[in-house]
Amino acid sequence: MLIHRGGSLPGSLALRFHPTILKDLTICQPVILVTGTNGKTSTANLIADLFMQAGKKVISNRKGDNMLAGMTTSILAKTHLNGQLEGDVIVLEVDELNMRHIVKQLPVSTIVVTNFFRDQLDRAKEMEQLIQSIEKSLNDYEGNLILNGQDPNVWRLAKSCQKAKVFSFGVSLQGQGFKSEAAEGKFCPVCGHALAYDFYQYSHIGQFHCTHCDFKTPVNIDAFVQKVDGQNFVIDSQTLHMPFHGLYSVYNCAALYAVSQLYDLTKQVQTTLDQAKSPAGRNQHFDLQGREVVLNLMKNPTGANEVIKVIEQDTRKKTLFLLLNDREQDGTDVSWIYDAQFERLNHANISSIYCTGLRAGDMALRMWYGGYEGPIQLVNQLSDALNQSDGLTYIITTYTAILPTAAWLERMAS
Amino acid sequence: MKLAWLYHDIMDLYGDKGNILTLQARAKAHQIDLQVDTIGIGQKVDLCDYELIFLGGGADREQWALLPDLLSRKDNIQKAMDQGSLFLLICGGYQLFGQYYLTADGTKLEGLGLKNYYTTHSSQRCVGNCIVEANLDGHSFLLVGFENHGGQTKGVQTPLGKVLTGHGNAHYAGFEGYYDGQVLGTYLHGPLLPKNPALADFLLSKASGQPLQNVPLPPFVTEARQALLDRYQIKEKTK
Repeated sequence: MLIHRGGSLPGSLALRFHPTILKDLTICQPVILVTGTNGKTSTANLIADLFMQAGKKVISNRKGDNMLAGMTTSILAKTHLNGQLEGDVIVLEVDELNMRHIVKQLPVSTIVVTNFFRDQLDRAKEMEQLIQSIEKSLNDYEGNLILNGQDPNVWRLAKSCQKAKVFSFGVSLQGQGFKSEAAEGKFCPVCGHALAYDFYQYSHIGQFHCTHCDFKTPVNIDAFVQKVDGQNFVIDSQTLHMPFHGLYSVYNCAALYAVSQLYDLTKQVQTTLDQAKSPAGRNQHFDLQGREVVLNLMKNPTGANEVIKVIEQDTRKKTLFLLLNDREQDGTDVSWIYDAQFERLNHANISSIYCTGLRAGDMALRMWYGGYEGPIQLVNQLSDALNQSDGLTYIITTYTAILPTAAWLERMAS
Repeated sequence: MKLAWLYHDIMDLYGDKGNILTLQARAKAHQIDLQVDTIGIGQKVDLCDYELIFLGGGADREQWALLPDLLSRKDNIQKAMDQGSLFLLICGGYQLFGQYYLTADGTKLEGLGLKNYYTTHSSQRCVGNCIVEANLDGHSFLLVGFENHGGQTKGVQTPLGKVLTGHGNAHYAGFEGYYDGQVLGTYLHGPLLPKNPALADFLLSKASGQPLQNVPLPPFVTEARQALLDRYQIKEKTK
């Protein structure tokens, strides 16, 4: 083995001395990439688990290190000195902006695209430019393309990637559907006319059609969840159980199922879900000597809105800690907190709010302008908030704080 | 007092709702009765009825989709301007009031042409925190925000203010935005007003034509501003 350490440093070094190092490896294993704005860590982990359940050796970047250097590290760690890889399949979560680099360097067999939301605009540029860069990199791609058929931003790839073999996944209408919550999906990406929706599932995800051209949600979705009942869902006429909550998780499961269909592993889906663990900070529960603490990640308005819904649904009295950082991976622009619907928390039985992080003042100000009438306090760190409050506590943090916070809570719980 | 929020459902890319929330909160603090009307594509309305008109930023696709509707309102906007309505324009909204926008492929997209400035595309975006020292009708402001724009706006004779950190109207322009006593255009997001409530007060006072009493600023404004000012070692000015 060349490298044993994780993280992105070994990959960074390798790339500096040999920028096309991945290209020169002998890779004959299937390479599956998962990209999109939200759900890519969860989905990529599930797909990796799926192959492991089938007894395969999987090479993956499980820690969510999804930039080129991190992926290079993951692959080199499983590479012998003769350039051969030790593993049966490669499953990588890929940052949207890194897609165009990684598809050039690896013999990709399958790409899964979860969704495209407004995310960290300062880094990811505007949506349109981002999607165009991905479309361009996939111009000659001839592999499988597994797409969310209910996200117009994603489904447009079916039109632009003419040589790819396209598969779709989706979920039938759940409940009443929602009014659109986000700015995406107003105009047809093909002809520019207005898009119309038969229903919205959440944000701009739903059943759409263009009012002018033939661009629309596919009529027959390949991996289609027919019914959702709590943590159970029906797909392909069988009922499966997932250990997650939330509609967005059902979409991840639908994507997983689509991959299982392609690789003839549908029998392994339930066992995959049985042993699945949520990644850090996705509704992660901790028991701190009897005090219940729930940790969630927020990185963009859509993700934050889904977390807000989960908190709203828990009607018990609770305390809320909000941690807002503005480092590069958090997004250096904090404007997005005004696009998320924090007002919904005004009536979610929250007795007090503690704000911390590099931009704690902005977060507190957001809650104040949003009309929250309970006490809002600024604290230097989460442990101060924990000491000053008690009872059920929800913590929401931005990206750079999620792993340290999860580790801290784990220590406190043990 | 009436506020028109133009294309609220399209030009809402960077937390512009925060600007409206701030105007509402400050109006309430000053006991001004503020009515906010949202105005979408195709909606018939006379902008002369509004003392304050707000247009925010959008993604490129959205921005060009609303252009025909905006252009169809040109005479009405001119009339509102003649009658003394005050305009707050952010990012895309700011660009659209100028002569034109020259896109990456050289296409010249016609703006409203109400102001002399114009904008050209650059693939190098101006992105980052931006702090601007402004003087509006003799009142000084230290504006704290975030800029994120590819467009390079040129030909501005009367900028909003001097850039203390960031780019401004174009790469290292040194000056940011536009202000002529009636139209305030700026690239500042953050959003602009929540951390700059003094500017919200100024706009409310000017639009309503009434001097405003001193009322306390919202809580946490000091801390939110200080986090950025400290980072760039800029001192808060006392008026």
